[in-house]
Amino acid sequence: MKRVIALLFMSALLGLLLYVVAYMPPMGDADNPTNSSEVIERYLEKAEEETHTPNVITGIILNYRGYDTMGEVSVIFCALAAVLAVMGREKQGKIYAYVDRSKVPSSVIVKTMVAFLAPFIILFSIYTIMHGEISPGGGFQGGAIIGASMIIFTTIFGLYESSERIPQRIRAPLEGSAAIIFFIVGVLGLVGGGNFLTYAWPNIASSLQPAVVTWLTILVEIGIGMGGAMVLISILFSLIREEEEIAVAP
Amino acid sequence: MGTTLNIIFIVLLVVTALLAVFARDLLAAVIIFSAYSLIMALMWQRLQAPDLALTEAAVGAGVTTVLFVVAIFKTRRREEEEE
Repeated sequence: MKRVIALLFMSALLGLLLYVVAYMPPMGDADNPTNSSEVIERYLEKAEEETHTPNVITGIILNYRGYDTMGEVSVIFCALAAVLAVMGREKQGKIYAYVDRSKVPSSVIVKTMVAFLAPFIILFSIYTIMHGEISPGGGFQGGAIIGASMIIFTTIFGLYESSERIPQRIRAPLEGSAAIIFFIVGVLGLVGGGNFLTYAWPNIASSLQPAVVTWLTILVEIGIGMGGAMVLISILFSLIREEEEIAVAP
Repeated sequence: MGTTLNIIFIVLLVVTALLAVFARDLLAAVIIFSAYSLIMALMWQRLQAPDLALTEAAVGAGVTTVLFVVAIFKTRRREEEEE
């Protein structure tokens, strides 16, 4: 009986979704709502000269919708806080996981490949962060790539090795850097004579404004990148660590 | 050419999504789900959203997969504990 009800409900839902799909606007049509909105027009026409970032998406995320993004980085920090509240933070230097005590050691080929590739992955993530205002990418993406590189490193070389590379005393202060740097840049906008999160300070000469906007955008990107990466690494470390008393040193 | 590629990607998306749902082994489901994310990243690129493609590839295929695997290793089915 339960199954019949579930099946009926699911097929009703499927029918509804398929029915709605028929009303979706065709892709790339000139009359689509996304093409006739005034906001979109404004973004596409004015974004580059107003935000001084050639990549319009970065300009929108960090400049027009900066307040939005500030909330998002706070949400990421809250996720870390929730994980730490449940799992607890590791004791410094006494951190092991099952990957450290694996009976089968990683093969030499895998170890060499990871050790060889990790610096290049981190270099690419730095490029993604610093170049985010010109090409696709930005703080979130670069931070996620740094986190992914540390995840690869941890799964191959073990938690002890990777926590030696990025110890808690480095991670802990940087975890909140995204929200903090964003807030500082916002307050600097107030000091500069504009509103909260104004990048082009009205109080300085207009010839200096493009450079200030560019550098503040890069600063925010670096903050988001570092904060996001450290949050990801901390979540991973606190999830895969095991109780220090049970674990044996490798 | 472009349309063919789109159709191949969409069929693969549906297939991987169904496989991920119906896989009995949780670990297999997670790996299939990461394949789904990778195809989704290619799809974002085809829809001219490279920013989203980067995010999907890094977060969807990379980070969440590992977090899911860790969650599977950390948890146990209730029946196993009772035995």
